Amino acid sequence: MEPLISMLIIIGGGVLVGVCVHFIPASAVGAMSASTGIATGPSMLSFGAGLAGILSASFALEEGLAVMLASGAGGSALMIILTILGGNLVNAFGTGVPPVSGQTANKLSVLGTSTKDVITGWEQKPYITPGTDGHGMPVQTTVSGIIGGVIGGLGGAMVFYGVYSLFSTFSVEAASLSGMVAAGIFLINCVLPAYTLVGKTEGMFDRKILRTPKTFLSCLIVSTFLALIIYSVSQYSGAV
Amino acid sequence: MLPTLILGSALAGLLAFLAGIFENEDSDAGSASNPNSQVQLAPQIGHLHRYYNKAIAGEPPQNALWATLAATVAYLLIGQLSILGLNSIQSVLIAAIIGSLLAALIQGLYGFLAHVSRVASMKNFKQILYWDSLVSALPLSMTFVFFSALCLTLLAFVIHSLMGSPFSVPLIAMFLGFTLGAIGSSTGDVHYGAERLYQHYKFGSGIAISKQGDIDVKGEYGYRNSVDTPYFTMRFGGPVTGLTFGLLIFIDAVFRIYGGPWTSVILVFASIIIIFIFLVYLEKYTRDKYGPFEEGS
Repeated sequence: MEPLISMLIIIGGGVLVGVCVHFIPASAVGAMSASTGIATGPSMLSFGAGLAGILSASFALEEGLAVMLASGAGGSALMIILTILGGNLVNAFGTGVPPVSGQTANKLSVLGTSTKDVITGWEQKPYITPGTDGHGMPVQTTVSGIIGGVIGGLGGAMVFYGVYSLFSTFSVEAASLSGMVAAGIFLINCVLPAYTLVGKTEGMFDRKILRTPKTFLSCLIVSTFLALIIYSVSQYSGAV
Repeated sequence: MLPTLILGSALAGLLAFLAGIFENEDSDAGSASNPNSQVQLAPQIGHLHRYYNKAIAGEPPQNALWATLAATVAYLLIGQLSILGLNSIQSVLIAAIIGSLLAALIQGLYGFLAHVSRVASMKNFKQILYWDSLVSALPLSMTFVFFSALCLTLLAFVIHSLMGSPFSVPLIAMFLGFTLGAIGSSTGDVHYGAERLYQHYKFGSGIAISKQGDIDVKGEYGYRNSVDTPYFTMRFGGPVTGLTFGLLIFIDAVFRIYGGPWTSVILVFASIIIIFIFLVYLEKYTRDKYGPFEEGS
C-alpha cells in the first residue's frame, strides 16, 4: 500500500475516534445513579471500547481492510452495549431506579422542548429522582452508544490497519508493534474531546454534540502530526 | 481444530467471568474509581469513616497496569521454566502465578501509600488514620488483585495461543486490563456507589447531589470497614461485572468458530440487536415495577 494512503487512513481513523467519544454516553457521577450515562469518564470508556475493537480487528488481520473494519466496529459496539446492559441491570436491581435521560426530562437536549424518549416515546420527567440529572441508559442513549461504538471501532481498526501497513515492511513483529501504536493514537484522540465534553455527555441527544467540529479539528491536527511521525519512523527503520 | 477453538472460547469466557468478579471486588474493597469521591467527601461534612481509601489511578489504567505487569513477568519467566523440564501448561501456570503475585505486592505498596497520603490530606477535617481499617482491608484487596491479574494473564495466554491472536501476550493483557477496568468502573461500582455507601437512604432512588458525601459509616455491628464491602457487593455488583466481561469475551470468541470472518461479524451484530431488544424490555419492566416518583418522596 502507498505510504500516503496509509497515512490518510491513520488520520481518518484518528478523527473518527475523536468523534466517537461524543456519541458514547458517559458520566462519572453515574456511579451514584445521579446522572444519565455509563458510570465512568467518557474518554476512558471509549478507550476501553476501542481496545476491545482493535483486539477483535486483529483476528481479521489477514482478511483485508473491509473485514477488519467490520470486526473492529462489531467488537467496540458489543463492548458498549454489554456495558450498558450491565449498568442498567445494576441500576434496575441494585439501586432500584429505571433508566431516565436527565437532559431530555429537563428540556435541555437537542430535541428541544420534548420530554419524551425519541425512539420509544416514553415520558422521562416523572421517573427522574429529584435532585439528580437522570440515571441509567434509556433507549435513545443506548442507540447513541451503539453508533458511538461502531464509529470508534471503525476508527481504531483504521488506525491499526494504517500503522500495520507502514510497519509490516520492516518488522516481523509488526502486528504487536502496530497494536501498541494504534492503542496510543486511540488514547490521544480519546482524551482530546474531554476538553469539550468536560466530564459527561448523554451522547448524540446532548447539546454537547454541537461541539463536535472543535473535536474534529483538534483530532485532525493531532492525527496528522502522529501520522507524519509514524511515517518517518517507518521510513527510517526501513532504511536501516 | 474445532474442539481446540470451542475449548478456547469456553475457557476464555470462564476466565473473563472470574476476572470481572475479582476486579470489581478489588475496586470496591479499596473504594477506588468513581465512588471514591464520596468517601473523600465524607470527612468534609463531618463523617469520620473507616473505609480503606485507595485510588491509585483511574480504574482502567490501574487494572491495565496489574494485568500487564503480571503478564510481562509471566512471559519472561516461561522460557526459564521450560529449561527446568516443565511442560508448557505447567510453566504457563507457574509463571502466571509468580507474575500475579508480584502485581499484588506492588498493588499493596501503592495502596498503602495512597491510603496513608489521602487520609493525611484530610487532617484539616479531623479524619484519623485508623490502622485497623488499613491492615485488615489491604490483604483482601491484594488478594483480589492477585486473582484478577492471574485470570487476565491466563486469558491473554488463551487468546494468544488457543485462539490465535497476532498480538503478543503482554499487549493482549494490557488491552484486556483496560477494557475490564472500563467495564468494572461502569457496572459493578454503581452497586457500591449508589447502594452500599447510601444504605441508610430508602431503596429505589439515585443519590441527589445534595446528599453526596453523606455516606453510611455504621455497619451491622459497630463501624463499617472495607472488609464488609465485598461481602455485600459480591452478591450482585461483582457477578454483573463478571457477566458483562465474560459475555464480551465469550460472544467475540465463539462466533469466530463458525464460518468465515464475515459470518462472525454478522453474528456479533445480531447479538447486539438481541441485547438491545432485551434492554428495551428491561427499561419497560423497571418503569412498570418502580413507577414514577411520588411528590415529596
